[in-house]
Amino acid sequence: MRPDLPAIHEIWVYLSGSPLLALILTLAAYQIGVVIYERTQLNPLANPVLIAVTLIALALAALDMPYATYFEGAQFVHFLLGTATVSLAVPIYKGLLSLRGRLLPLTAALLGGGATSIVSAVLLARLLGADETIVGGLYAKSLTAPIAMGVAERIDASPTLTAVFTVTTGILGAALGRFVLDAVRCREWWQRGFAIGVAAHGIGTSRAFSVHPEAGAYAGLAMGLHGVIGAIVIPWAISALR
Amino acid sequence: MIDGLVRILVFQGIGEVIAKFVVPLVPGPVIGLMLLLAYLAWRGAVPEGVELVSAGFMRYLGVLFVPAAVGVVLFWPHLQRQALAIAIALVGSVVATVAVAALAAKLLSRSGSDAP
Repeated sequence: MRPDLPAIHEIWVYLSGSPLLALILTLAAYQIGVVIYERTQLNPLANPVLIAVTLIALALAALDMPYATYFEGAQFVHFLLGTATVSLAVPIYKGLLSLRGRLLPLTAALLGGGATSIVSAVLLARLLGADETIVGGLYAKSLTAPIAMGVAERIDASPTLTAVFTVTTGILGAALGRFVLDAVRCREWWQRGFAIGVAAHGIGTSRAFSVHPEAGAYAGLAMGLHGVIGAIVIPWAISALR
Repeated sequence: MIDGLVRILVFQGIGEVIAKFVVPLVPGPVIGLMLLLAYLAWRGAVPEGVELVSAGFMRYLGVLFVPAAVGVVLFWPHLQRQALAIAIALVGSVVATVAVAALAAKLLSRSGSDAP
């Protein structure tokens, strides 16, 4: 070995001080998640976010890298959440054009579903003895993740726990939704899609799209409207109740 | 594409400023979303650049919340202790939400179609 070449650990020290490592880790883990998701024929349980988070958590443990160091680099990805939230206006706008006089049933589904998601989660968690940190993370869990995390900041809840509960809710809704819809004998595609979108935001929406295009379009509309209305109502209701 | 990104960032910026100084309870990006929605309705169409940027974000929305979700490592012991309560709350809530939303849509659209 030539003496002027840097030792491996020096390269490592240099890399771990730059945001590059966290960015590579984030995008590579997500890419692996996407490949697995596609290989399993879009099975909701093989969710790319879930896979990416698991892989990165394992990598951080193996590298002995604190979360704060990782986030310092990954914040460049995180920053785009706000911009992505604004661009949700486009699918909402297109969805609103296709409402065709279904305003009343869809409004009722949105408000009823939204209220049910919060009340049932908070009551169940409190009943089973979960502490307030956990309960705080449940309020916004049926909103689309970028909005849910913004709401969490406004109500002094943990954005991280909210993100984790939101993703889990999406996966559960995408996996179980079909059985619930069959049990309540809901057969119209637009109703099925909308109900999944209210309960399981983006993950439910991509599931609905893979089943039927009309279900997917209505799920996307439900996700967007639930996000906007939830972002206005939830912080206001919680600050009024406190 | 850049023109679309500029428009979206400007709406985000206006939204953040309004959230900071006028309505602190609503997240800035959500105000930006509503302003962009109003702008699209006023124009009556989605500009090509905005459409392009939005489609890109929608396609890769998932990767954007990975950095925050990895923070779950900080809460791991906490979550493990309350795993059962959390699991029951999440499963029960999502089942109830789908059921209520589906029933509300179904019952109200049936009564609506009976009306003249």
